[in-house]
Amino acid sequence: MAALCQAEIPRSARDDRLWVRTMDALTIVTIAKRRRSRRLGLAIQLAILALVLWSLEAIVVGDTDWKRITLASVGRALGRFADLDWRLLPDLLRPALETVVMATLATLLGLVLAIPVAWLGADNISPGGRVTYAIGRALMTLSRSIHEIVWGLVFVAAVGLGALAGILAMSLRSIGFISKMVAEAIEDVDPGPIEAVRAAGGSRFQILMFAIVPQVLPVVLGSIIFEWDVNVRRSTIMGLVGAGGLGLALHRQIVSYNYGGIVAVILSILGIILIGEVASSHARKAVL
Amino acid sequence: MTNLATAPVLEVRDLRVSYKTGIEILKGIGFSVRADEFVAIIGPSGAGKSTLIRCVNRLVEPSAGTVLFNGRDLLRLDEREMRHQRRGIGRIFQSFNLIERLSVLDNVLTGRLGYTGTLRSLFRLFHREDIRRAVELLDRVGLADHIDKRADQLSGGQRQRVGIARALIQDPKLLLVDEPTSSLDPKISREVMALIREVAKEFAIPVLCNIHDVALALEFGTRVIGLQGGRVMVDAPSGEVSQTVLNRIYDMEVL
Repeated sequence: MAALCQAEIPRSARDDRLWVRTMDALTIVTIAKRRRSRRLGLAIQLAILALVLWSLEAIVVGDTDWKRITLASVGRALGRFADLDWRLLPDLLRPALETVVMATLATLLGLVLAIPVAWLGADNISPGGRVTYAIGRALMTLSRSIHEIVWGLVFVAAVGLGALAGILAMSLRSIGFISKMVAEAIEDVDPGPIEAVRAAGGSRFQILMFAIVPQVLPVVLGSIIFEWDVNVRRSTIMGLVGAGGLGLALHRQIVSYNYGGIVAVILSILGIILIGEVASSHARKAVL
Repeated sequence: MTNLATAPVLEVRDLRVSYKTGIEILKGIGFSVRADEFVAIIGPSGAGKSTLIRCVNRLVEPSAGTVLFNGRDLLRLDEREMRHQRRGIGRIFQSFNLIERLSVLDNVLTGRLGYTGTLRSLFRLFHREDIRRAVELLDRVGLADHIDKRADQLSGGQRQRVGIARALIQDPKLLLVDEPTSSLDPKISREVMALIREVAKEFAIPVLCNIHDVALALEFGTRVIGLQGGRVMVDAPSGEVSQTVLNRIYDMEVL
């Protein structure tokens, strides 16, 4: 019908009336459809609201001790943190450095371990086809599913208290992200250079080094920088399970109820993370 | 005993290729390329031109037939032997296929990878003679001022010249060229085709070239092979290809 309207055929009066009636029908149908979909949208929103209200009632309202929470009691509790133990700060310098070094070593180790996992988990170059691809992806998921604190507990049990446990824990956790990013970059490479190297008589290794690595290098560097930033944060709390760094200091202050000390450690953690943010954003600009 | 001086560098016999779906792309192709020839392959899209080129150096696996390169049947070789043979076959690509982040020099040097060991490849320690040859070839193709530039900083025509230098540094006995000018404008296309013909003559390398521009094919090719529907429709010196024949290959009015 629309095509007829656009054609340069002289239209008789009969065609005009037919067209008008068709447009009327189409309009009615369209308006009815819009009304129906709007009603459906509204119904879904109401259902979600009902679900949220019910969850609040069931989990929050029911479980909270409302008698305890008064403005005064909250104010008093927070007020305890208005203290700062200055004398602690020089003693926090070494743990702070340890925290950053831990994060750096963990990221590097994570990268080294992530490369074979990425190689397995990239469907275009996985050496054993579907089987090794599945293994690679499973390793990635495993690494990301287990929280670093849990990894930390595992390694403290395995190698004892201290920085090594923290480094190992964070590196295992880092494998997940780095290998996933790198595998996806490998799967996205331009096949042209691969064909070129192959056509010149290059071996599998040479194809990897010359056609694939240069293409994924930006992603590799970008994910290392990002993961380092995240690891600085993780590193600060690894000490809570005895794995070294500022976290250990935080733990000690918590168990001795030294609120001023807790604040001092938290402020140093903030300081480290801020420095990390600045450093990583500069690094990212330099690389990409 | 064949007279080696006149034996063809490349001989293809009854080449057949089917896709996994069972559709036959090449239905028994046969032709030969002699050492002094520039053979242009023409034909409509889908006729199998690209597939044919990629079968010759076995980047696509044919389902039947023979590909004799300097007397050796490439289809009977194992992967390791095939890799060695590929060193002697230079490829020039439609989309250049350069390694964007590497320099022009490094790109040309990748042509020597077939001759370079694994450890040297890892650290990019190419032999001094290779580097010298790369510089010479880059000068020959007119890119002496661009040696250290990154490949992605070059124009299309310049990139194809790098591709030509890369193919030449392999010391090839045959040049397989796949639509070298499809991504280039008409003026640059002629310059590139002229360069390929020049260096092929200079280094005495036969050329097998896919090209969709019939005018260029007739001008630069010494012989023309016309493919249609996976078969050879014509195989004649370029001077003898008539308008009727061209129309038949393309199933329409050409030129």
